Amino acid sequence: MLAFEDNQNICIGTIENTSSSPVYLSSGTSPVPPHLPRLHPLKPSPLLSPSNSFLPPIDSQLRNNLLDLPRCGFPRNLSSSNSCSSCWNCGSVGPTSGAFLACGSCGAVQPVDSSVDYFQIFGMKKMYEIEEGDLEGIYKDWQKKLHPDLVHSKSEKEKGFAAEQSARVIDAYRTLKNPLSRALYLLKLEQIHVDEEKTVSDPDLLMEMMEMREAVEEAKDTQSLYEIQSKVKKKLDSWSNSFKEAFSKQDFDSAVNCTQRMKYYERALEEITKKL
Amino acid sequence: MLRLALKRSLRLGPAVSHTPSAAMVVSRGYHERVVDHYNNPRNVGSFDKEDPNVGTGLVGAPACGDVMKLQIKVDEDSGKIVDACFKTFGCGSAIASSSVATEWVKGKQMEEVLTIKNTEIAKHLSLPPVKLHCSMLAEDAIKAAVKDYELKKAKAAPEQE
Repeated sequence: MLAFEDNQNICIGTIENTSSSPVYLSSGTSPVPPHLPRLHPLKPSPLLSPSNSFLPPIDSQLRNNLLDLPRCGFPRNLSSSNSCSSCWNCGSVGPTSGAFLACGSCGAVQPVDSSVDYFQIFGMKKMYEIEEGDLEGIYKDWQKKLHPDLVHSKSEKEKGFAAEQSARVIDAYRTLKNPLSRALYLLKLEQIHVDEEKTVSDPDLLMEMMEMREAVEEAKDTQSLYEIQSKVKKKLDSWSNSFKEAFSKQDFDSAVNCTQRMKYYERALEEITKKL
Repeated sequence: MLRLALKRSLRLGPAVSHTPSAAMVVSRGYHERVVDHYNNPRNVGSFDKEDPNVGTGLVGAPACGDVMKLQIKVDEDSGKIVDACFKTFGCGSAIASSSVATEWVKGKQMEEVLTIKNTEIAKHLSLPPVKLHCSMLAEDAIKAAVKDYELKKAKAAPEQE
């Protein structure tokens, strides 16, 4: 057991001297021959520190096994899990949850990670009911950090990232804002493939839609158009609720059916808007 | 999402007998035949659904919210289609496809019209790949109309005895 104190450190530890050469004990500043171990008592051994993510990439396999950490691939910025992403510019590690679109430390815009879904970009739970009022604020906050106009003095690489990230945030905002597109996006995330080219022949559904569109066509004044509009909106809301229920029960067939009806009502509303 | 956006940009509006508004945009994607069918709609209208000689085909494409109604008037003795009409709410390609379908079924036998393929309609109108399903809708509408007529006939037959 050795103990010494110098200007910098109190070093308590054991060094086994198996060689005939003398053991060097030193402070942090003076050079130590590389073949000799350095002990740093104030810092626990790197191997046993789970929170220290700046671990040297030696034997990461062993480290992961020892600490039972989620696997992070090296280099980190290519990993699919955003909890292990690090900034290409300054090396800071990204947030453990949520989207890492721009670095919190240096502000550098990050490359698009398509495994981050739209809900994560807006920090919202992946479900149909969202706080639509919050969308715009979060959208503007992101654009303040990502918009291409703000990176005109940066590198070509970062300008490229900014263009893609900013476009992705716009897509996310539009998709989440409209209930039907949000519903379809949720289905897509669940890997439910909706065959866009399938024709339907449900007579009741089609008759209803036909009559609805005919009513819009034949409406003679704005008053009647508004009346039809309010009826259609009510139906859209009602089917929107049905979607929410079906989706939460994972009844995906019904959910798809709901989105189909919603699509018809939306088309009718579009036509009414055109006429108004 | 891209497909939906494309559809929106190419959408011309519903097909009814009024003159198309000046706001109609002829995008460079439309073939002149499609525009022709839109500007000069042929066979737009409705037959009496209850008429025993009328077959009504009602089909829809939920992905784009299109509805297409195609009706045939059949001569019961010869089994020949003597008249046809349509009403379609959808894009220009859907309207043109159903219009072409009504033209092609006139004067033909019912078995014959069942062989009309969507690819022929699409070729005639030079439909782009993204609009192929509109021609499919028209083919389905023809088949649905024939099926409806035959169902009607089958129901009526025992009563005639």
